[in-house]
Amino acid sequence: MREDFGPPAHDSLSRYFPYTLQERTEKMIIVNGFAGLTQGAFFAIIGILLTLMSQLTRVVNFSQLAVGMFGGFVGMTLMMNPDIQLNIWLALVVSIVISAALSGIIGWIIATWLPSAPISNRSAVTVAALLLIVSTASVLFGANHSNFTPIVSGNVTQFTIPGGQIVFVSQSLVALLALAFVILIASSILLKRTMFGVRLRAISDRQSAAELIGVNVKVLNVGVWVISGALISLAIGFVPATISNDYISFSLLIIGGSAAALVGAFKNPWLALVGGLLIGALQGVCSAIPQIAPYRDWVVFILILVFLLWNQRKEVWDVAR
Amino acid sequence: MSLVLNDVTVSRGVGPVISNVSLEVKPGQITTLVGPNGAGKTSLIEAIAGVITPSGGTIVMDDVDITKLSKRKRSRAGLSIVEQGRMIFPSLTVKENLQLTARTKADMDEALALFPELEKRLNNQSILLSGGEQQMVVLARAFAAKPKYLLLDEMSLGLAPVVFMRLLPVIEGIAKSGVGVLLVEQFAHLALKIAQDSVVVTSGRVSYQGDPKALLKDAELLRQKYMG
Repeated sequence: MREDFGPPAHDSLSRYFPYTLQERTEKMIIVNGFAGLTQGAFFAIIGILLTLMSQLTRVVNFSQLAVGMFGGFVGMTLMMNPDIQLNIWLALVVSIVISAALSGIIGWIIATWLPSAPISNRSAVTVAALLLIVSTASVLFGANHSNFTPIVSGNVTQFTIPGGQIVFVSQSLVALLALAFVILIASSILLKRTMFGVRLRAISDRQSAAELIGVNVKVLNVGVWVISGALISLAIGFVPATISNDYISFSLLIIGGSAAALVGAFKNPWLALVGGLLIGALQGVCSAIPQIAPYRDWVVFILILVFLLWNQRKEVWDVAR
Repeated sequence: MSLVLNDVTVSRGVGPVISNVSLEVKPGQITTLVGPNGAGKTSLIEAIAGVITPSGGTIVMDDVDITKLSKRKRSRAGLSIVEQGRMIFPSLTVKENLQLTARTKADMDEALALFPELEKRLNNQSILLSGGEQQMVVLARAFAAKPKYLLLDEMSLGLAPVVFMRLLPVIEGIAKSGVGVLLVEQFAHLALKIAQDSVVVTSGRVSYQGDPKALLKDAELLRQKYMG
């Protein structure tokens, strides 16, 4: 009798693989979707900073990540150098200072020579800066470099989803999300409750008129660039080593950040936060499905396309009206 | 002590839009600058404020040559401008608009005293105000800076005459407080009524300079000067 020979083969397998392929895929989707939030939080920070810069300095700063990366590499080089062996926290401070200074220089160039240029021209300068920084980094740090050493690692907590799969909450995710919220809340307080913020908003509304009433537009603009450079460098310090960080692919994460900013139409930094997390989670979900995993980076492209089409649809409606 | 323009020439594009204009704005007086559309009045105001750099001549404020100073430095030196088109900062509240120039609370209170109706709108976003109220905010903001000289460019643009009439006594009051006012205005007859000095500009050149009352009395003279 069949019972004499034990359970059927598939039952025996199910002892080791208790779920069907579909069930396993569903669980992986949840696990990977959650794991993708870490990269999503990083996209969100980039998106938030892009949105704030776009509003306050009339520029889409494509060089933002390259600036942070450059500072990060300088800090890491000082850490790894056997003669210097800089402490990780000091290395972070060096990274932040260098990124802030580099960002300030780009801001100063734009504020000095292109104060009234259209946003497209000003943004084009940042593309040139991006290319310049990437090629300089390549010359200075060589082709074979180590990954960034994150200042946080490991997991804060973990929980089990129904079915027994364990989901980890990394320190990187918590740190990046906390930084995103700090930037959002602090910028909101700064812009609404301080004279510095009121002047920044005045520049954002009418730069020339602000200058005519005595606002020091150039200094304030460069100040925004410096702060933005410092913040992106700090954020890079929390990025886990799993995120690719060769010069080019790391600098190009700016595209994911831009898509996040686009979700908020470069106007609403809170929506940029949502957009960043959404993109990260969607990319994570895609990587759990073998058939579409190779195309996970398409999520950014599709999101940008959908947003632009949605916007166009509104314009058509406006014209029709 | 006055704001003096010596042979100021302003070029835009192919050629000069203002040629060798000289005039003087005295403290405590209103000088009205009138002329037909395209005469170069706004270009002249922009040259004084530092928006554009004159291609010739000098601009001297209280014996200091400000021709090469930046817009910001001119503003810090005591020059305020109310540009055409109600240049409020739309995302800012009325109070924030005034805070941009008022150095002390007393400055703010004095500015608000010009237009008491703004007091109850202090926390409103300025874009939500009516056109007249927006112009009041701009004028109050300029006054809050405690200027020595105030340039007013076509304040009546887009406003109902009745609303503009509300602004005129305020401009007179500002001048009486010791501020020199250069008033560019399309409603020439209204502007000339409150002025102590007048300049008519036609095709970039001064065609008349002198007593505004003479222009008001003699309509033919005004017409002639307008036509160049």
